[in-house]
Amino acid sequence: MSRVTSIEDTHNDSKDRRHLSARGVLLVVASVALVLMLSVPVGLTYGSDSAPSLRASGASIAAEPVAVAGLSTNVTVGDEVFLNGTASVPSDGATITSYFWTIMEESGTKLEIYNYSGSMFNFTFEDTGLFACNLTITDSNGLNDSDSFFINVRARPQTFLEKNMLLLITAAILTGAGIYLAFDAYTKRKAGLPMIASSTKEKYRLGFKRWRKIMKQLLKNPMGAVGVFILAVFIFIAAFGPWLAPYDVKTIDPFNDLQKSSKDHWMGTDNFGIDIFSELLYGARTSIIVGIISAVIASFLGAAVGLYSGYVGGWKDEVVMRLNDIVLSIPWLVLMIVVAAFVGKIDLTGIILIIGLTGWSTTARMVRAQVLSIRERQYIERARCIGSSELAIIRRHIFPNTFPLVFANTILTVAVSILSEATLSFLGLRPVGVVTWGTMLSFASEASAFQQGLHWWILAPGLCIVAVVLGFTLLGYALDEILNPKLRHR
Amino acid sequence: MAGRSFRKIILKRIFNVFLTILGIMVLNFFLTHMMPGDPIDNMVPRSPKFDVSLKWELQEQFHMNDSLIEQLGWYMWNTVTLNWGTSYVANARPVFDIILGDMRWTLLLVGMSTVFTLAIGMAMGAYSAYRRGGAFDVTATSVSLFFYGMPVFWLAIVLQLMFTTHLAGWNWWPQLPPGGYYDSQKFGDSLSWTLPEIFSVLEYLILPSATLALGTVAGVSLVMRSSLIDTMTEDYILTARAKGLTDYQVLRRHALPNGMPPMIALIAMDIAFIIGGAYQVEVIFNYPGIGWRTIKSISDLDFPVLQFIVVIGGVAVVLANFLSDLLLMYIDPRIKIT
Repeated sequence: MSRVTSIEDTHNDSKDRRHLSARGVLLVVASVALVLMLSVPVGLTYGSDSAPSLRASGASIAAEPVAVAGLSTNVTVGDEVFLNGTASVPSDGATITSYFWTIMEESGTKLEIYNYSGSMFNFTFEDTGLFACNLTITDSNGLNDSDSFFINVRARPQTFLEKNMLLLITAAILTGAGIYLAFDAYTKRKAGLPMIASSTKEKYRLGFKRWRKIMKQLLKNPMGAVGVFILAVFIFIAAFGPWLAPYDVKTIDPFNDLQKSSKDHWMGTDNFGIDIFSELLYGARTSIIVGIISAVIASFLGAAVGLYSGYVGGWKDEVVMRLNDIVLSIPWLVLMIVVAAFVGKIDLTGIILIIGLTGWSTTARMVRAQVLSIRERQYIERARCIGSSELAIIRRHIFPNTFPLVFANTILTVAVSILSEATLSFLGLRPVGVVTWGTMLSFASEASAFQQGLHWWILAPGLCIVAVVLGFTLLGYALDEILNPKLRHR
Repeated sequence: MAGRSFRKIILKRIFNVFLTILGIMVLNFFLTHMMPGDPIDNMVPRSPKFDVSLKWELQEQFHMNDSLIEQLGWYMWNTVTLNWGTSYVANARPVFDIILGDMRWTLLLVGMSTVFTLAIGMAMGAYSAYRRGGAFDVTATSVSLFFYGMPVFWLAIVLQLMFTTHLAGWNWWPQLPPGGYYDSQKFGDSLSWTLPEIFSVLEYLILPSATLALGTVAGVSLVMRSSLIDTMTEDYILTARAKGLTDYQVLRRHALPNGMPPMIALIAMDIAFIIGGAYQVEVIFNYPGIGWRTIKSISDLDFPVLQFIVVIGGVAVVLANFLSDLLLMYIDPRIKIT
């Protein structure tokens, strides 16, 4: 098509440049927003406390032995921690016969358990995460008692390079793009070509026009307007939540645990002494990221499988659809737990993969049905007649026709993924090292928050989930109505 | 559709059903074997005085030293002959008994909530579609969407709190049992199904089934609404109106029957999934059904029980889909099954 450009008008006015710079600004803004969104969950597991030695305190006289393990605390990876358990001896003169420590790492399905006999020892934490340390004592009468606390192991403080890695990568990419654009402009100018060919300009103009029309329709649609409004609020919280949060959510404070709502802590503190309101703000980002990325993975897989299966047809289609049936029929929880076993330690990436890799079957079915009807249209026949390759037909004719459907469906899948994350966390597949609304609910229900008078601990994350899911659902329905030609005229 | 091709389609579908069930069984066998953790480690009491010979004995007893193919063979044969083995835990009760026992409670819970869900959801959806854009439609749709976006376990926790404590000192507020399936303190360990005991069972059923119904009614009413709206724009509705039929007649005779297919597919899906377990509700209300058993068998690494729960859940989904397809073909001859 390059020859055609020579007969096009070559007036290279400022409008074209403005067009270019507008897109450049948009790109930069989007990239910076993306980096901001992504950087904090990565940085969440970092801290910089020095290692304390844990000392037990207090002794009381009781009829039964009382174990005193210590208080929950924060340490840094590689710290050697001195665990010193004591016990108060019962009043009837019995003596303590055995001390038994269990250190358990909380990481989803994989439990690592260390057992030690003896009242005191040194333990080196080589992994980040939350460790439950439990001391069980037995006295000479055979009575026993146990006490436990948590050790929050954080990664060593980051170097400057590690801390700003994502920022640096983004800067490198942007610089590269800039150099490319400058080089492109230079060669075009040298060859006397217009900076932007009119055809390209027209393409973008039409694309922009279409996009603006869809936005207009979306905002006119009551469901779409409400959805956009809700999501705008929560995406603002997701982007700036960590700066708005009054407290750090990665430092546990055993002296302030389970406090009711007050002026200092609007929604109270949880069982590690972390401010619940701050957790809620931090959780917005992680929950929404989990929802969006896993929905994109699921939609991508589903669209790929559906396109392939619907287009090739025949026995290959049969095999794919039977496999799909099998995957759809297995209870999703069991499926997710098995995928979790493959993924290994469940952190933010792990939970995204689990939800993304199990959620593609319905999308695949839907896309396949759509492809089956598109495949028989005349323009496909014509494309084949002029000698388009199979790949070109899929890429240029079939995929663009299924895309609106897939897009609307992805938005709906985001809602489902956020719900899945919450449910998985609640049922025990809790991502470690991050705060999501799901993990908050899970800890809250384990600590029976309602009985402790901490109503906000359960109500707030739940209501946030409802609002975000509602936002994505409304947006998805509205987009479906706008983009799906079958529904447009009703 | 001509008789012969119809029969051919049915035969092909039955063949597919068998193939899918076989696939579920094979996949399920490998899935459960890939689950993390060693069940024997869980069965041997964790103590410093650990006896290795006990572990070997247990491994022998559960065929764990055979090759994977041999185990798969045993598993397939035993599944078909309903010889489902014994649980690794739970006093080594037969798996068949365990699942049968749990299934009763799940069916009771699910049956109760499904009846409410269908009745309320379909009525709500139909009326919303009928008076589309009206006050009822807007209210019902927003309420439906609100419940639709709610994690079921969260709804369960909140309802449990609301009906087990006197909120804000309201003493007239009704109180319901927080969990369990009958008043075991009053009636002892085994149920004999006398009238007061049946009332007790029903009382314990209210909260879990209401939670389940609230969680699923939204889906039903939304599907009903959109499917009816779809049919209401068809030309034959216009024709029916032109003939002078009343609104009710149009709805009853023309819109509803044509709007049913998506509902039937949804109902089949719902029932099948719910047999697979209403995990969240059963866990929170400590209701001893299949969902509760699934979670328990996962945490206990009780593979025999888990395997057959998965098989039953999968087979239920496959059969429900098959039956709903047959029903759809029967009531709507236009549907071409590919």
